[in-house]
This record gives sequence, C-alpha cells and structure tokens, in this order.
Amino acid sequence: MGPLNREAWARRLAAFRASPSTFMARAESEDLGLDLLSDLRSDKLSEQTKVSLLALSLEYSDKLWPDAPAAEAAVTSLLDTLILLPPRPSALRRPLLLAATTALVAGGALGPTSEASCRLLPLLLRLASGQDVGRAFGPTAEQHPLQATACECLRELESCKPGLLGSSLGLLRSLLGQMGPVQPLSLLLALVLHNTLVAQSRSGVGLQGLLVAGASSTGGSRWDWTLAEEGDAHLQPQAPSWPTAEEGECGLSILEPSPEEARELRAAVAQLLDTSYLLTPVAQAHLLWLLGWAMRGLRGQLPMLFKPQLVRLLGTAQLTLLHSVLALKATFGEALFTTQDEALLLRRLTLAAQHPALPSPTHLFYLHCLLSFPENCPLGPEGEEAAPLLLGPQLCRGLMPSLLHDPMALLAHLHLLCLLCAEDEEEDKGQAQSPRQFLVELLTGLLQRAALGDGPRALATLCFQATYLTASCLAGQPAILTPLIHGLAQLYQARPSLVPHFVDLLDRVGPELGEPLRKVLWQEVVTRPGPGEALGWHLQMLAEVAEGGAQSATLSFLQATAPHCTDWGLQQALLQVCRALLQTSGGDGLADLLQMLARQLEDPDGRDHARLYYMLLAHLASPKLGVALGPSLAAPALASSLVAENQGFATTLMVQETPAPIQLSVGRQKARGPLPVLRLQVEALEAVYSMELRFCVKGQLYEPLEAIHIPCLCPDRPTHPLYLTLKPRRPAPTQLQVQALYTTTTGLTCHAHLPPLSVNFADLFLPFPQSPKGSELSFFEELWDSCLPKGVESRVWCPLGSQGLETLVSQHLEPFVVVAQPPTSYHIAVHLPPHSMLLLRLEAAQADGVPVAIRTDDWAVLPMAGDYLRGLAAC
Amino acid sequence: MAQRAVWLIRHEPGTSFGGTVRFSRRYPTVEKRAKVFNGSSYVPVPEDGPFLKALLSELRLLGDDKDFVESRDSCSHINKTSVYGLLVGGEELWPVVAFLRNDMIHASVPLVEQTLSPRPPLISISGISQGLELLFGIQDFLYSGQKNDTELNAKLSQLPDLLLQACPLGTLLDANLQNSLDSINFASVTQPQKQPAWKVGTYKGKPQISISITEKVKSMQYGKQDIADTWQVVGTVTCKCDLEGIMPNVTISLNLPTNGSPLQDILVHPCVTSLDSAILTSSSIDTVDDSAFSGPYKFPFTPPLESFNLCYYTSQVPVPPILGFYQMKEEEVQLKITVNLKLHESVKNNFEFCEAHIPFYNRGPITHLEYKVSFGQLEVFREKSLLVWIIGQKFPKSMEISFSGTITFGAKGHNKQPFDHICIGNTAYVKLHFRISDYTLTGCYADQHSVQVFASGKPKISAQPAVARKKHLIPKHWSYRQFLATYRKLISSDYYIWNSKAPAPVTFASLLS
Repeated sequence: MGPLNREAWARRLAAFRASPSTFMARAESEDLGLDLLSDLRSDKLSEQTKVSLLALSLEYSDKLWPDAPAAEAAVTSLLDTLILLPPRPSALRRPLLLAATTALVAGGALGPTSEASCRLLPLLLRLASGQDVGRAFGPTAEQHPLQATACECLRELESCKPGLLGSSLGLLRSLLGQMGPVQPLSLLLALVLHNTLVAQSRSGVGLQGLLVAGASSTGGSRWDWTLAEEGDAHLQPQAPSWPTAEEGECGLSILEPSPEEARELRAAVAQLLDTSYLLTPVAQAHLLWLLGWAMRGLRGQLPMLFKPQLVRLLGTAQLTLLHSVLALKATFGEALFTTQDEALLLRRLTLAAQHPALPSPTHLFYLHCLLSFPENCPLGPEGEEAAPLLLGPQLCRGLMPSLLHDPMALLAHLHLLCLLCAEDEEEDKGQAQSPRQFLVELLTGLLQRAALGDGPRALATLCFQATYLTASCLAGQPAILTPLIHGLAQLYQARPSLVPHFVDLLDRVGPELGEPLRKVLWQEVVTRPGPGEALGWHLQMLAEVAEGGAQSATLSFLQATAPHCTDWGLQQALLQVCRALLQTSGGDGLADLLQMLARQLEDPDGRDHARLYYMLLAHLASPKLGVALGPSLAAPALASSLVAENQGFATTLMVQETPAPIQLSVGRQKARGPLPVLRLQVEALEAVYSMELRFCVKGQLYEPLEAIHIPCLCPDRPTHPLYLTLKPRRPAPTQLQVQALYTTTTGLTCHAHLPPLSVNFADLFLPFPQSPKGSELSFFEELWDSCLPKGVESRVWCPLGSQGLETLVSQHLEPFVVVAQPPTSYHIAVHLPPHSMLLLRLEAAQADGVPVAIRTDDWAVLPMAGDYLRGLAAC
Repeated sequence: MAQRAVWLIRHEPGTSFGGTVRFSRRYPTVEKRAKVFNGSSYVPVPEDGPFLKALLSELRLLGDDKDFVESRDSCSHINKTSVYGLLVGGEELWPVVAFLRNDMIHASVPLVEQTLSPRPPLISISGISQGLELLFGIQDFLYSGQKNDTELNAKLSQLPDLLLQACPLGTLLDANLQNSLDSINFASVTQPQKQPAWKVGTYKGKPQISISITEKVKSMQYGKQDIADTWQVVGTVTCKCDLEGIMPNVTISLNLPTNGSPLQDILVHPCVTSLDSAILTSSSIDTVDDSAFSGPYKFPFTPPLESFNLCYYTSQVPVPPILGFYQMKEEEVQLKITVNLKLHESVKNNFEFCEAHIPFYNRGPITHLEYKVSFGQLEVFREKSLLVWIIGQKFPKSMEISFSGTITFGAKGHNKQPFDHICIGNTAYVKLHFRISDYTLTGCYADQHSVQVFASGKPKISAQPAVARKKHLIPKHWSYRQFLATYRKLISSDYYIWNSKAPAPVTFASLLS
C-alpha cells in the first residue's frame, strides 16, 4: 500500500481506536504497523499527522508489534527515523523517543541480546546527561525537553527492568548536582537508588561504591546488564505493601552499609529531598514513596532526613502529598513520627477529610485513610477498617453522616459512625445526644425517604445498604436494631413494591436482624385487611418470611387470599408461598389448602401445580420434601410453570445411579441350622441411610433371596455382620448379583451395583444332626450304605501340602466329622441342602496326601467334591 | 506508581449507550508491569466499548432503575470511595477510579504493584491518589473558564498533546495541565537550572501582585429550641504574582481586625515553603477561645506563574450574617407561609444582589397565591412551584424584612414539578443567595503592608545555585503599593432556613451544641 494521505490515516486511526480487536481481525490490519513506520518518513504527511501516528503507537504498540522480533524491528525503524530528521526544530523527536521506549518494553524485546536495546539505551543516557549527540538532535533550544524526555524513558525502562541503570547511579547523582532539569533527573535517580537498594538488600551485598562511580558507563563501551539480569526475577514494587510487611516476608534483609556508604547514601537522599520543593506536587509525592520504600530496610538515622519536609507537606492536604506522608508513616512508624507527630497527622487528615474546599472524592479517600490509618501502636486486627484509637468522637464531629450527603458519602460516613457506636457501647450512656441516638434518627430519615412513592430506586437501595452496613457493624446492639426493625416494617407498609430489596436484605444479614425482621414482616402480611393492589408483593414477601410465624395464621391468610388470585401471576405467587411452607413444615392444613387450590384455581397450570404439591406432600417425608424443593426455581418457563418446577426437582425425586457407597465381603460362618447362611462383612465408604441390599441369583439354582435392610451406616463407626440365608434348589456354588438402594445425607435416593459375591461349594455344607453317643460309627455306616445303588462312589487323592491331616480336618471339616480316629482315619458326613449328602472317608495319611473314599447320593455333586478336596491344601 | 489507562466519558442520558468515550489513553508499558505484579489476578484493560458499558452501569447512570437488579441494587454492594470494581467479560477490573463532574465521567485504572487477591487496602496503592490527581487536573483544565461545547471540544482535542507532556508513560509528572500547555509554548526558551518544574519560563514585565479573598458562608437555620443553628465561613485566597526572576520569594500576611474571627483549618498551596505551627494546629475541631491564634497569618512562598489558590481556611463567626425564620403550615387545601429575615448590624448592608428562593417540592403547580412583602418584590414561577423574593441591594433601616402568604397547588403533573427526597411532607426550606463585594465576614484582609517580596539580585549561573541564591539574596522590602491589587467578596453558599414546623435534616453538630 502506498503512503496514505492525512484523511485516509485519520479514518484508519479512528477505525482502529473504535475497536482495536475488530480492526486487527481484518485482513489488512497486518500492515498497519509497517505502514505506520514507513509513513513516518514520508514527506507528504504533515508533522501533526505523524504525531498522531506516534500517539497511536504509544498506546497500542503491544497490538501493532506484539512479539519481540516485530518490536525489535519497529524500534530500529523508529530510531532510524529519529536520526534522519533534519536538524531543525521538530515536534517528532520526543514522541519518537517515547514510542521507541514503549515498543521495546511492550514487545518484550528489552534485553542484552537486542540490538535495538543496545542502540536506544546509550542514546537515552547521552541525551539525559546533556552530552552533545550531534546536530541530528535538533537545535539547542530543543535539548532541554529532550533531556527530560530521555530521563523519562530511562525511568520507564528501569521500572520495567530493575537494575538496568544500577551502574549509572554515580553518574546520575553527579548530573543532578550539576545541571539539567531537576524533576526528571530526581525521579530517575530516586528510582534507580530505590531499585539498587532493594536488590542489594535482597542479595545482602553492599552498595559496592555504586553511588560514587564515575561516568564510565556512558562512553562508547558496552552497556552493563549485570544488575538488570540479577534483578530480572523480581519486578520491584515501588510502594510498600500495607500494613508494613515483616522483614522476612518480602525477602528483604536489614542492610547495614559501611560508614562510608552510609555517608554517601545520606548525602544522596538529602540532595534529593533538599531540591524536592522544585518538583511538582505529584512528582514530590512519587519521590517520597520511592525513597521511603528504598530506605525501610536500612539501619541508622536515615528516616530523620524526611523530618524537615513534613511540616511543609502537612500544611498542604494536597492529595498525593498527604498520601505519601501516610506512606512514610506506615514505613517508618515511630522512627519518624513521635506520638505528638502522629496525633498532628491524624488531626490534619481528619480535617482534610471534611474540609469544604476539597472535592468529595478526596474526602472519601481521606476517610478511607482514616479507617486504615497506620498507627504506631495498633490494637485491632490488621487489615480491617477501624477507627484509630486517637480518633475520638470529638475529632469525628464533622465526619458524621447527614441526609444531605450523596449516597456514597453517606455510606462512608455512616460506616465511621457505626464503628464509633460499636466502640462506645458503654461510654455514651447519659449523654444528651449520643452518636447512637443520632444513628437511629439518621436511619429513620433514610427509611422515610425510601418510602416516598415515586422516589427513584437509588433512594431505596441506599436505605437498604445503610441498614445492611449498620446491621453488620452493630449486630449485638438491640438499642439500634429494634427501632430499625420497626422502621423497616413501616417502610414495607408504605411501599410493598420494595419486596425484592427486603428479600435481598433478609438473605444477607445475620440472624440478629434477620430473625426478628422476618417475624415482624410476617405479621405485617398476615394481618393485612383484605386483598389490595399489592397482593402480589405481599405473597412474594410471605414466601420469604413464612417460616417466621405460625403456620395456621399463614394458611388462613392464604385461604382468604386464594379467591382473589385471579390471574396466573398471583396464582404462582400464592403457590410459591405453599412451596415455602412445604419446605419448612407441611401438615394437614396445608394439604387441605392444596387440595382446595387444585380444585378451585382458574388457571389449569395453577391447578396442576397445586396438585403436584399435594402429591409431593402426601407421598414424601418432610426431609425428603425439603430436599426435593430445595433448589430455587429457575426462571419461570413461558408455557407452564410446572415444567420449570419439574425440571427443578425431577433430579431430586428420581433414583440416581451412583458408585458403590459400601464394600461387601463374605466372611467365615459356622455351619448350623437347616439352611446355609452367608456371613457378610460391610464397610461403609460414605454415610448412607435406609439402605436396602438386594441379591439375585442367575438361573433357578436357588430360591429368590430376601433383601437386607440397614438403617444407617457411617464410615467411622463399627458395623455388625449381616447374615444372608441361602435356599438352594440344587447344591451348587454360584454368584450373587448385589444392588444397593439407599438415601444420602442430602436426602437423595440412589442405587448402586456392587461387585458380585461368590457362594462357594463349601458355603453350602451343613452338618447332620448329632447321633447318639457311641452309635456314630453305625450311623455313618448306614449313611454310607444308603448311597448306593442310586448314588455314586469314587476315590480321590487329597494333597496335604505342608499341613498335616489333623490340621486340614480341623480347619475345614471339623463340624462334619462323625467318627474320628486321629491320626489314622476320619469319617465325615456333609448335608447339602436341599436333599443331598456327601460322605468322606479319610484314611491314613501318607507323605504328601491322603486317599479319600467318597460316596454321595447325588452324582452331580461328585465333580464339585473332587475339586473341593483337591483344592483344600491351597486354602 | 502509574496509571494503566485514562478515560473521559460524556454522560448522555437517553442515548442508546448512555454516553460516549470522548478521550482515552492507554499505557502498554504499565500494562506490562501490571501483568507481572498482579499475576493470576491480572485483568486486562478492556476496550472502550465494554468499559463504557460496565462503568455506566456501576455508576447507576444507565437510567434504567425500574426493576431491582441484584448486581447493582443489592444491599451488600456498598461503595464508600470513588474506586470501583467493574465486571467486564466475566472478570472484575479493579481498582477503577471514577467520578462524574459536569456530565463528564473521569476515570482511570491505577497500577497496583502486588497481587489483587486479596484486595490490598486503597491506602497502600500509590496510584490511587495519583489517578485522582490526574483526573482532577484534567477536570480543572477542561472546565476552567470553559463556557460552551465548542470550547470544551477544543480543549478535548488538546488533551493528547498535553498528556504527552504531563503523563507521557503512565507516571503523572504534573497534574496542572495548564502548565504542560505553557511548557509546549515555552519549549523554545532555554530553561535555566533549578527552574522549578511547576514554573515553566519566567515572567518579564511590570511587577504586579493581586490577592483576592473570597469567603463563602453557609448556614443551616432551624428555628427550633432543641436544635442549634450552624454556620461556617470558608475562605479562599487566590494570588497572581507577576514578578521577574526565577525564584522570587514572597510573603503574604493575612490580617484580622481586632474583633475578627480566627482563621482555622488552613490548607496551603504546595508552593508555600514553611508554616508557623500555630497555623498548622488551628482547627475547627477544637472549641475556640480567646487564646486562639488570630494572626497575622504569614505565608512565605515562591509563586508559580499562573493564578493559584494560596490557601483555604474556615472560620466560625459569632453570628450568621442573615438570621432567618421560616414557618410553613398546611391548612386544608392551602399552605400558609411566613418568612422573616434579619441582617446583622455588623454586616455591610450593600449587596450586589440578595434573593430568597422558596421552592415547593413534591407538589403540583402553584394555582393561587396571596402574599404580602414588607420589602422587595416577589417573582412567581408557577410551573416550577417556586417563589423568588428579590430583596435587592440593601435591607431597610430596621434591618428586618418579612414575607407572608397563602398558596394553593394544583394536581401533581408528571415530572414537571421538581422532586426532592429531603423535602417530604412539610419539610421545606428557604435558600438565600447573596453577594457582597469588598467585604469579608471574618474581617480577613491583605493590604500593602501585607506583602513582602524578596527578589534576588542578578543571579549568576553557578555550580551550586541553591547556595548562591541564598548568598545573593537581598532582603529588600519593595514597596508594591502601586502594583498591588486586592479584592474581597462574600458569597452565600448552601444557606438554608428550614421550616420550623416540620422535621429537618440535622447535622450531628447541631444536636451537640
């Protein structure tokens, strides 16, 4: 694109400014930065247009040249343009220097490897030190403003990369002493001194003679990046954090300079402070913040250097200056401000916070400063706004709120008044006019204003904000809260349309105000004679405060109101109250009302809604009901409120599947009784209530199993074992599917599938009834003989492993032994429900096993018995 | 200690956006630092459009307050300073310093050199006072002597160049933008060393000093037994010193006559070099007794080039200049009112003008009026429900005047008659507007003996000018008799006389006395 003319550029710049992001999203936007740089050298554009191009690059260089290479190229181009300017006065030199500095920093190109940095920095330093930089830099008349601008640029670079000018400290100091514009040099020197001291105290080394170093680094020699690279990790705050951080916290150690260094340092600081009156007030303030923060870690008498400045500064009440004095106060405390000084500062601050000659934003800022005043001996907790100890009611007389204040000022002054009332709880009794009485009168005034029928909402908002502020500061003072509650009730009477404000207030204040206020407002609603225009508001209010009063009165009110609820909106409001009652109480009266509404409401949606509530009330226990209705309604649906309602609690009423809340395992069980019983161990992973465990066997092997009910399980409480009776149709092992249905602590009903439980062959073993003593052998022999011919017989080898036969029998088969002749033989009879038996003859054990003769009346059992015996040794 | 961005937004109620951005300026290098300092709590400065919308909403200037909006109207959403948090793109931009003056919203975002969560207290952020000062500076520049929109637009168009001088890289160098304008114009003059940064160039020409003392008197009079009336004088001393030399030293003394009321709560211009401790501690917080310091009040200073406010003070004079009594009663359909005014004998009975405004709020238009005035004339603004009693230049010899009348009002029209949230029911006031030239209520004055000028000889340029200047100082009491101009005037400001038959907004001080 060729050079644009003035108008074209003006249009392009305006389009860019209107929305940089939209502009940059367009295709041609990429060229903007390049066009701008090239047109700066165009002869066709006026200087004024070029200044406007540079102004844009100053503001948006991060958008025009976002990355380091682009920024590097842009800075190079800007510097070339600067050098190519003809040696006559030009308005472009200053903005070019500023633009180059901005682009270098914003694009992240500043660093030792950047050629542009290595060109710009020495140039700036030469300009700042007033050295002759050649005719290209304009006539001598322009040198002064350029010198100041160069200092500004260097200060910005040092701010963004602390330590950059550390090695030029001595040079800057000598410059300030000799010549040059005082303000830019002072600010630059103060910042470099600040950064150097902070960095030195971080690393713990001394000043290393930096303050007295000569002008070595400005010559043609390479720029010294050492200190900047060291400090790179910490961009250093130029202001103290508040309240003054402990030394250790911010990583600063106490720096103890050598006597010589201390002398030089004192001289440098004194030099800066002595000429500080030549600086503009804002620059003076900046200097004080910098020096104060720089010297906080230093031992010695340095804070006293500030003393001579204080009286002059305290006289002004100029915003930045007084703020910087407060910063010094916070930094040095008693080292600079004696008790008398502190009292004087506080008086001046109090005075400034109310002086009629100062504007309101200043008053409010000073008021904030008063409540965060850095006291020498603070008593209260740090970080909270509180009235300083020295600020008594006498001093605060002029800081009291008044109805004539604008809302923000009124709230700020009201806060102070509340803090004073909180402190003076005991003291002000018996006074003719106590701050507390005044507070009550003021709140009454605010309530009256809010009650104005056609007043703006801002007045109501202000009244509720004041109420909230008072209630939060003075929660424990009924002398204030009681009239306030009374006033709020009157306000509600006068202007029921403020219900949203009341609801908001009730949701946010503590119980000290909230509970009695609910009661009073409930009373207001239910005792109102007849329905009026504001019925909708009253119902809204009742939905919020229904729990504050007796349900019977609420219900009679609703019953009386129902016939007047003729439109959808009113019916919904009515049903909202029912909903609130459902959540908190319930009862017969409510059921009757809901039934009546379900029949009589005109709107079908309303009838459905009432019916739904009735069903819920009839079918759900109250905790469940509370949860089901718990989540507040989403925005009312357009078609039917019922739909929205359903969306709201469908999830809470449905049984939801969740991960298993418990772990089940099968434990060992002593076999006895007519049926096998599984002993189950439960371990709870979370608290569950009313748990039902359902078991299911695939196929027809067993009869259906009964569910087990557990009232409550908690993870940290011991649990009892559960017993599950099995009713096998055939003696066979199987797997049980387990499902848990339970209620969570939040009242939701959930179900979960648990891992299947295995019923082993041995779990089905039952002993035969005990035979009379002495006849065991014959009993066994009878059984043995009865198996054949319908049954089967077999012999298996049962490996013994490391254990002997006796151990094996006592561990696994003890209950079933009929005849024992240890260690040579055992006769074992097992009853397998429903109708089978398994008989074993264990004979004399050999080295690694025992031969077993088996008989059973059920041939299907035989393979399982074989497997069982072969597996015993491994158990 | 810097600003990330500055805006001027013209508030235009009724337009689609509610306002337009008239000026904005961003500082990318400061933004870069903000990103590092704020860390994870960093929120970038938004573009003008979203910023405008968020700010107008937060300042309740969108005019749409029909419905309760929680983010704006919630009782816990409390702002106690001119510093706001703006919701932009789901994140909260904080701190935003902003205030509305003359339909223009002045806003800036100061840099906070630490993380923003938890929020540090405002007192710890140096950029807050700097931001306010910058915005005050812009406001002073835009509205000093500005009369119409054309002038305002001309001044707005100068702002980019001025901020390039006063705040080139985000750090405010001078809040006095007029100074920056002068420095652009003075750019060709070689500046000598040790030139104060707040004084660009030097004055050449006939030496002249002008001092003007303006006192404003405000009062709240209730006409009740149990509530004390209050009144206060607020004085401003403005100087313009046209003197040659770089650093002429001037001392101005303010004097009081024998029975004058002591000056209190004195705030001085930063160019004042030292201050007597009696001046520093004289304060309205303490009860005044005979031992109070009553001057002369000496202010040594080096003057800037332009006109400046040397000091502000307050004073508690023994009686209010005009004592008033107002009674308003509602009798069936009409209001019965009586106003009595009495000028104190000590006050100069020679007004530039004197009027009593009697407004009736929250009522309909005036339909019928019968009245009697003992002095002056009455103007009736029926639609505005306002009576203006023009008293004129002098009170009569008796010093007492009275007005009485009965008024009937019509039905309340929509938005035609004024609304007021203080004047509810019979709460009402009479407001006095008057001005007396060549007079101060405290008696405070400056005359030819009050001004001393210590001009340096012909200072030579030397290596240690600060020392040299002292050596060459020739304490010479120049007679500026023929070059000194002094002006005095007394103006009323917030001078209210409340209906004694109804409740009135009372200050705490009234209750204590």
